[in-house]
Amino acid sequence: MEVKTKIKEVLVNLLKVKLDELKDELSLQDSIGVDSTEMVELVIALEKAFNVKLFPKEVTKFSAINDIEKVINSKSGK
Amino acid sequence: MDKIAVTGIGVVAPSGIGKRQFWANIKSGRSFIKEITRFDSSKYPSRIAGQIDDLEKYSHISERLLKKIDAFSHMALIASEMALQDAGIDIKNEDPSLIGIFLGNAIGGWLYAETELRDLYLEGREGVSPYMASAWFPAAPQGQVSIYYGIKGFSKTVVADRASSLMALGYARKVLAKNKLNMILAGGMEAPVTPYALLCCNTYGALSKNNNDPEHAYRPFDKKRDGFVLGEGAGIVVMESVNRAKQRGANILGYISGYATTCDAVDRINCAPDGKELAWTINNAFSEAKVNPGEIDYISLDGLAIDLWDNSEINALKLVFGHRLKDIPLSCPKSMFGNLLGASGVVDMITTILAMEHSLVPITLNLDAPSVNGLNYVTKEAKEYKIDKALIISRGRGGINAVLVVEKA
Repeated sequence: MEVKTKIKEVLVNLLKVKLDELKDELSLQDSIGVDSTEMVELVIALEKAFNVKLFPKEVTKFSAINDIEKVINSKSGK
Repeated sequence: MDKIAVTGIGVVAPSGIGKRQFWANIKSGRSFIKEITRFDSSKYPSRIAGQIDDLEKYSHISERLLKKIDAFSHMALIASEMALQDAGIDIKNEDPSLIGIFLGNAIGGWLYAETELRDLYLEGREGVSPYMASAWFPAAPQGQVSIYYGIKGFSKTVVADRASSLMALGYARKVLAKNKLNMILAGGMEAPVTPYALLCCNTYGALSKNNNDPEHAYRPFDKKRDGFVLGEGAGIVVMESVNRAKQRGANILGYISGYATTCDAVDRINCAPDGKELAWTINNAFSEAKVNPGEIDYISLDGLAIDLWDNSEINALKLVFGHRLKDIPLSCPKSMFGNLLGASGVVDMITTILAMEHSLVPITLNLDAPSVNGLNYVTKEAKEYKIDKALIISRGRGGINAVLVVEKA
């Protein structure tokens, strides 16, 4: 599965948001209004889904899906 | 102190969600106590309760929020929405800094907490939802209601065992009487039908073990009583000053005119058998309400269905009302749907206000052979009575006494 699709799948399953609410270019805060606790959950879920270790400042509520995709690709050697 | 108006009712109870359904079932005198089906409770000494299984049907809460909150917050959110709708209030037109939330709860949100603690031991710290920290504690519903509506005024959560929500109403009344807020969402919520919460309540030793006959298990003031039965739910009302209610043309449902609370100070668990402290509490509430005992025409009983507590309650009433007690209709309608612990007092008040509106006293279920004779217990079927002024009693472990005087609109 494409990394971006999988990120969106994690977001939809975890936060119970609709797929069409997610915008590749917009930050998570601006698109779906994530709060800090949701971000904690999200980082853990992404780490599990992609089997990578994410540091606190790498994925934040100011990250867009495109940014998250880049971070995960760089970690998994893509 | 001025009377405070109740202008909206939200109720989420095993006997009905929403005041119409709730009252229809209370009026009919049916039992809503059943064997617990939510989890395997077969090893518990008491495994019956008043449960709510169709909460989602009445919910306006998104799945995204639901996964962050416990059932007791969910119930409080539903009850708040119903109360605001009933009061005809659109929060958007109000000053949020002049609205308060006063709620009572006894034990917290264990359905959420238990699941997360299990995951902590099975999966380690990463298995625990970060929402655990904000989901389980007794003030969580207050926080969720405030966030949901953007309510920013002075608010409080009261934790005082089964007396919690009646105390919350009493505090809310005091704050409104001082003109510190425009309106308050007040009441309480409790969700004790979970494996650990049920275990704690069983340990207390006051639950009925009549598991084979759930509908007849909760029998306050009856010779064959063997304890109370748990229930879950929430009751939240809109309270505001009489002036404000009249100015905005609100439909006033009832008035809260007196409140008092005391402690028996005799035992870690039990109340004082003589009921003297409770009697003193009732008299205090009467003087605050400027009501004399002769004016009370309905008493909503706490009714724990334990010899000591029921007898103490009746002793207190005899001290206050003397010979006239035999003429006043008494009942404990929670015998139909269970004792909602921290939410029991407000649901009793809601029942009393509905009883006033319909001039009908609901029954104490299963009160076939009273342990004290010669009193005007309403049993078998609801009885017509015009109720102008009523007394509501709510008590908690360790001898907490809270009473409220309510008047017809």
